[in-house]
Amino acid sequence: MGFEEVRFEKNSDKAIQNKPLQKALVNVTDRFRTARNKASKEVSDWEELRSAAREIKKNTIANLDKYLIMLEEKVIKAGGIVHWAKDAHEASQIIVKIANDRGVKLVVKSKSMATEEIELNSSFEDAGIKVVETDLGEYIIQLAGEHPSHIIAPAIHKTKDDISALFSEKLGVPHYEKPEELTKVARERLRSEFLNADMGVSGANFAVAETGTIVIVENEGNARLTTTVPKIHVALVGIEKLIPKYEDLSLFLSILARSATGQKSSTYVSFITGPKGPTDIDGPEEFHLVLLDNGRSGILASEETRESLYCIRCGACLNICPVYRHVGGHSYGGAYSGPIGAIITPQLMGIDKASELPFASSLCGACHDVCPVKIDFPKVLLELRKNVVESKKLGINSGKDLIEKLGIRFWRFTVEYESIYKITNKLSYYLQIPWKRSSGKLNALPYPFSRWTDQRDFPSVAKKTFRERWKEIKAETG
Amino acid sequence: MSNSREEILHTIRRGLKGASSEETTVERNFLSEAEEVQNLTKELHSNLKAQFIEELTNVNTNVAELENEENINKALLNLIKKKELKSFSIWESEFLKEINLKEDLKNAGLKLITAKNKNKIANSDIGITEVDYAIADTGTLVLLTNKNQPRSVSLLPPIHLAIVRQENLVRNIKDLFIILKSKLQNVEDITSCMTFITGPSRTADIELNLTLGVHGPKELIVVIV
Repeated sequence: MGFEEVRFEKNSDKAIQNKPLQKALVNVTDRFRTARNKASKEVSDWEELRSAAREIKKNTIANLDKYLIMLEEKVIKAGGIVHWAKDAHEASQIIVKIANDRGVKLVVKSKSMATEEIELNSSFEDAGIKVVETDLGEYIIQLAGEHPSHIIAPAIHKTKDDISALFSEKLGVPHYEKPEELTKVARERLRSEFLNADMGVSGANFAVAETGTIVIVENEGNARLTTTVPKIHVALVGIEKLIPKYEDLSLFLSILARSATGQKSSTYVSFITGPKGPTDIDGPEEFHLVLLDNGRSGILASEETRESLYCIRCGACLNICPVYRHVGGHSYGGAYSGPIGAIITPQLMGIDKASELPFASSLCGACHDVCPVKIDFPKVLLELRKNVVESKKLGINSGKDLIEKLGIRFWRFTVEYESIYKITNKLSYYLQIPWKRSSGKLNALPYPFSRWTDQRDFPSVAKKTFRERWKEIKAETG
Repeated sequence: MSNSREEILHTIRRGLKGASSEETTVERNFLSEAEEVQNLTKELHSNLKAQFIEELTNVNTNVAELENEENINKALLNLIKKKELKSFSIWESEFLKEINLKEDLKNAGLKLITAKNKNKIANSDIGITEVDYAIADTGTLVLLTNKNQPRSVSLLPPIHLAIVRQENLVRNIKDLFIILKSKLQNVEDITSCMTFITGPSRTADIELNLTLGVHGPKELIVVIV
């Protein structure tokens, strides 16, 4: 990934101060979470579906080499061209070369996390090729020169007024107030881009090994336009997107739409096999499939974290996460946010470049409960935390780590001996008094405890311990 | 480039440490499964139709039911006249040819626009298609691309009108894939593009406000015969 080192703590500090963002985050996560919960309850065998989906993903990843070769063979048979990219740089190079070799001047793109991951847009721009994002949210983000903040709703951090001002500035239209009017402006602008584009770039939600079919799920219709109107279609697909059999799609499509937006079915699902058929009237003349590794095959080597590759990018873990809900997508750096970003970005970028991310979780496990393929997030996060600590052992201990280490050593010392524990308890009750607020909370402790209270309150130490109160209550009630 | 292919496959194999191929595959007979599904579906017919209509309504689709095929062209002409449409694009599927809808619309003064030219079909007022299947429990239309059934007709015009014959209704997506798979004895026969359509084009990207017609058709009309 071309992204810089992720500074989660710094980014999230900024996000928490941003009032409109806080409001938008609550709205979007509440809406999607409620819809998902309702939709999943309507399916009587939901839990069985989750287990079955996990089982299929597990088998696919355990036989990935076999299925990739099968997919390649089928795509070629259908008249498509297959490219393999070991990293972000190579993937961008391949796609820009396809465009350059064919004199492409204008590219339309439908939403794809993989193209965000390889920062494809900047490679096109460097090559002097104009590239236009066509998903409404992505279009807004591109005009503003920003990154998406939610897998499903990329522009959720922008208000209607922000968008109105942005369109007015960049597109020279009046200040429209209604979402319908703004949407209409985007539709008209993007229609002409579609009709003039030489090439369409998409991602894929699934790639079916036995038929060579790629599947794209969406609500707007821009992915259909991207894969139908221009003469060339290029699909960038992560190697973990495979599923073995055609009929497996019924299961995955059922759980994806419900987990993502709570819809029974997304508005459009396109199942694309190669370029247009020899007798077809419309559709692209060329179809290129670019298979992207970029660190994925490395993830597969660790049995403890391999399940990170089962993800189908529904975003349910973002919407339920108490951390994401407050810090938003940009805090996670990289292309992926929320719990899935916290586990996948450090593995794709290298743990040294995103060492704060595995700690960006309370380990509450809500993500594990909603994940349609049952990824055990807490388990993977703990494994990654272990890796972070181990990688730091090799380097120089920072002052921060030293204080943490001493603190934990002191804590162990106090809890190991009952008498010392009792004394420290009493002592801290009196020591806290200068910082205790009338609310009974501590909200501004000195360093190093300020690392906690800068971000949240700490409950004050009670006068009596649980054991003391227990004794009293017992005596009172006899 | 082929170097990267070998490198990726090598890293995968090394990572799996021979863990691959522990799969147990159950051979399924999709022909007999499909037959079973279709028999079950026949028994449910009127229920399925009611469910399908309810689901379509839930996703902002206009539904019209017609008693028989004889008055279909008349009904469609009335509908089109009411909307003051001037041009149309249409599939040349067998059923649509049989009812001669294209000629009737032309005779009524509407201009026919074919899918051959993308710029022209983008300016067509309505796209008329049949569907190959329809899924009752999600309100989904299933369209297969072939030489008579181009993709743009259901995509570029602002209104999409789809004719659903009751015999094409299936219970759910699971049944649909059993039927599709049973017809896929030869994997090479697969269509270049299958499309599921559930309601008109929609977005909620601006403050989560639902807005229809952002890219695809703003209006979806389903006529059940």
